[in-house]
Order: sequence, then C-alpha cells, then structure tokens
Amino acid sequence: MKKYICSVCGYIYDEASGYPEGNIPPGTVWADVPSSFVCPLCGASKADFNEKEDDRAKTSSSTSDSHASLPEDISYTAAELSAVFSNLAKGCEKQYDSEMADLYKELAAYYNLKSEKINKPDLESLESLLQNDLSTHFALANDVAAGKHDRGALRALKWAEKVSLMIRSLLNKVESGKADFLKEKNVYVCDICGFIYVGDEKPEICPVCKVPGMKMTQVGRSA
Amino acid sequence: MHAVRNIRLCTKDCLCLYVCPTGATDTETGQIDAQTCLSGCRLCVDACPSHAISLVPEEYPAQQETSADVKKALGILSKSKTEQEIAAFEIEEAAKTPRAKQLAKAIGMSNRIMAEDLLREAGFMLPQSGEVLKLLNSLVESETSDDFPAEAAEKLIQKLRKINASMEEKTMSKTTDNLLEAFAGEAQANRKYLAFSRKAEQEGHLNAARLFRAAADAETIHALKHFEVAGKIGSTIENLKSGVEGETHEYKEMYPPFVEQAEAEGNNAAVRTFTFAMKAEEVHAGLYQEAMDNLDNQEEIFYYLCPVCGNIEKVVPGKCPICGVSGEKFIKY
Repeated sequence: MKKYICSVCGYIYDEASGYPEGNIPPGTVWADVPSSFVCPLCGASKADFNEKEDDRAKTSSSTSDSHASLPEDISYTAAELSAVFSNLAKGCEKQYDSEMADLYKELAAYYNLKSEKINKPDLESLESLLQNDLSTHFALANDVAAGKHDRGALRALKWAEKVSLMIRSLLNKVESGKADFLKEKNVYVCDICGFIYVGDEKPEICPVCKVPGMKMTQVGRSA
Repeated sequence: MHAVRNIRLCTKDCLCLYVCPTGATDTETGQIDAQTCLSGCRLCVDACPSHAISLVPEEYPAQQETSADVKKALGILSKSKTEQEIAAFEIEEAAKTPRAKQLAKAIGMSNRIMAEDLLREAGFMLPQSGEVLKLLNSLVESETSDDFPAEAAEKLIQKLRKINASMEEKTMSKTTDNLLEAFAGEAQANRKYLAFSRKAEQEGHLNAARLFRAAADAETIHALKHFEVAGKIGSTIENLKSGVEGETHEYKEMYPPFVEQAEAEGNNAAVRTFTFAMKAEEVHAGLYQEAMDNLDNQEEIFYYLCPVCGNIEKVVPGKCPICGVSGEKFIKY
C-alpha cells in the first residue's frame, strides 16, 4: 500500500486507510480513487497529489547536526514584538479584559510602525523566505521541540508548517499563470492558525486547526 | 472568578436572570456586570442551557517554562514569518489587480497569525505572566523613542506587578496559615493532655499521668516553635499590646453571646465557666494595659492567681471578687 501527499496542504492519502468519510473504503489504490476526488483538507484536485517518497530518508537527514544553527541569544525584532503584543491583546479579549487589551494593542501598533520595511518586495522574494522555512527552519524547530518534549511548540509548528505549505501552493499557482484560480472564489483566513482557504464558501471547520468556520475571516476583494 | 457570557452562544433563554442573586446577569450591554457578580457563585453557569456562561479567573498559575533552545528555534520562524507578513502587505499595497491584492492581503494576515502563535509558544502565552512583565520592563528600560507609548507600558507593568506579587503572597501566606493552624492544634493538645494527666492522677494511673504530662510538654515545644516561625512574636511592648487586644476581644465580643446562648440552653456549668473567664479576661486586659504603660518602671510587682476562675490580683484579696474563693488559695507569681 502506498501513500500520496497533497502538494497543496500536506494531507496524506493512505491507500491502506482510504477515506471512508468520502466513500472511499480502506484498501482503495490511488488509481481507483475517482478523478473527482478533492483533498479533504484544502480542496486541491486529485492531480495535485504526488506519491509520497520514503520518509525514512527524509527524517534522518533533518535530524543531523541541527542545533548548530540556533542563534546565540534570544532577541526580538520590532515586528516580532508587535506580534507578541497583538497576540497578548487577543488573550485579554478572551478574558473579557478590554482595558488591558487596549494597552497591548497600543504597544502592538507602535512596534508595527517601527518594523523594518522591505525594499520593493516581490512574490519571488516572499517565496524564497517561505522556501527557507519549509526546507530547513521547520525541521530544525521540530527537532529541538521534540527533544525538549515541548508539545505546545510542536503543535504550533505543525499548524504553521501546514499553513506554509498551503501558501507555497498558492504562490506556485500564481507563478504558473493559474492566477485565475481565484476567479469566482472566496478567500478565507483562519483567525486561529492562519490557514488560507480558497473556495465557494467558508468551510465548516478549519482544515488545519479544526476551529469552527465562524472563526475564519473572509478576505474581501476591492472593485 | 466572575462570570462572563459568550454572546455568540447565548440563546436568550434567560435562566441566568432567574438564578442570579444580585441581578448582575441582567444588563443592557449583554455582558455580566463584574462589579455585582459574586466571585465563584456559578449559579448562572450551571443554569445556562446553551453553555454560554463561564467563569474567568482573576489569577492564573505560573506558566510552564519554555526552554531557551525552543525559544531560539521558534524565534527563527517568527522572524521569518513577520518578514513575510511585511513583504506580503507591501506587495498588496503595490499590486495592480484586485485579485493580486486580495491574495497578498490573505498571505499577510496568515503570516501574522502564524508569528503570533509561534511567539505564544515561545513563552508569551498568558497576558499576566511574569515572563511578559520581564519583557515589558526590559523594553521600558531600553526604549528611548519619543513616540514609545510609555504610559501604556507603565500601566501594564503596574497591573502585572500587582498580579504577580499577589500570586507570590498567596503561596507565602498559605504556609503562614498552616503554621497558625498547627499552633492552634498543638496548643489545644497541650491543654487537653494536661487535663487528661490530672484525671489519670486522680484515678491513680501514675504512669499514664506522667506520659500525658510529657506529651503535653512536647506539644508545647511544637506550638512555641510554630508560633515563632510564623513570625508572631514581637517585642514585649508589642506582645503586651497583642495581649490587651486578645483579652478585650474575648471579654467584649466572644464571651457575652456564649453566656447568653448557654443561659438559653439552661447549661449552668457552661454559664459559670464562660462568666468566670469573661470577668477574668477583663482583669487581664487591664493588667496588660497597666504593664504596657509602666514597662520601664523598675519597681518589683508580684501577681496572685485565683486557681478557680483565673482571676489575677496584685494584692491577695480576702476572697476572690469573681468566684468568691478564699484568698489563701491564690498562687503567687
């Protein structure tokens, strides 16, 4: 039995387990999966799936000497501080403490203004940053977090990696001239994990973090 | 712990209005009034059929520690994600078509949320935590820019300091509470064993009487140590003041209702022992006050104790003014 991985979001179709929720019984080989099959996670088509390479080789390469590239100190850029404070503001809102939330928002806004701007960025530079995360940063962070048994960190990394894969796939589509894929579709961003969903309507739950769809925000299109 | 209502879950069955003892659930804003909500009451939480009400704590436990390596590894990603956020929003700004703008905006939003989540796991989860307090302090120290919102940062620091200090104090005072509880228990045990020892003597069980006396002394050792560690022993003037306060409380507030209750129940023995104690405590309070006022007086004073009611006199009386026992019985101190 083989496994097929969604190039969009990283969802794995395992022939052994099938996809019973979509009426594909366990043991269904990939060739017999109907061409109308779409990724249950992100809605990508069957053609977006690739056979999964042997993942043993992959994990062994990622564990090698990874601690060498950790930075010496813990430091935060203005942009990071802005994210720390905007998230603490959200935490206060969950505690129904709007006074404290506003104070954190003020700090978040200040550090947002102080963040270093990037000189005329384009999609390619964005994609190269993303590619670095996907090829090295996630593997390193996963190793460190697993070594410290930090399950909270592992959870955040898992979500962020899936969301990053989704963004890469969207950028790939734009690059290959398939920007039309947005036509007639809506775009939603999950408030909790950041997953970007392109589709006709809000999913019932977020495919990555499983939060109810009411916590996904539609991104409007001007004009 | 006060109650809050998730307005999205509320189905307006309004059972919370029926059960709230203070009317805190019935407000024009849809939120529960924290001022009148009774801490920890939770009647509305249990009554709500749509589970829209929950309790929000005022205090939180100390956070799980995050290792420095995990912080560093997550930091590589949060730096990268915030860079991508900035790039995406700048691309949105410059993009020419509405669809390109829309996608860039979504990517910007997505990267911000990822960065927030990664930083949250890097030690900044709870808005009230000591970790956040440390960060705020270091920023206030290092920020020199005029437009830095110093007032907001200071307000947060004050709030967090208060919360963190009260959390610390609570852990401290729990042990103090325990010491005082142990002191009370040991002190009681001492008197109990002395009473048992007397009884054993009367019954002629001299070995048991000796054991009770030794055990009573042992409990005294424990009680004195607990009391000392709890920090309750002051200077003599402070201790005399404490004596006046304790005795005054007993004769003015504690014993009068006890006597009344015993009279109502017709328990004459209790009425008698409470009344003797009440009257004796009043005398003790006066003597403590006098000793306080004359602490530096070198003139030697002796005290005489009535072994029946606990009255104390400075001159042996013909008979005890409280219980009437002959002055010959008084014990000199």
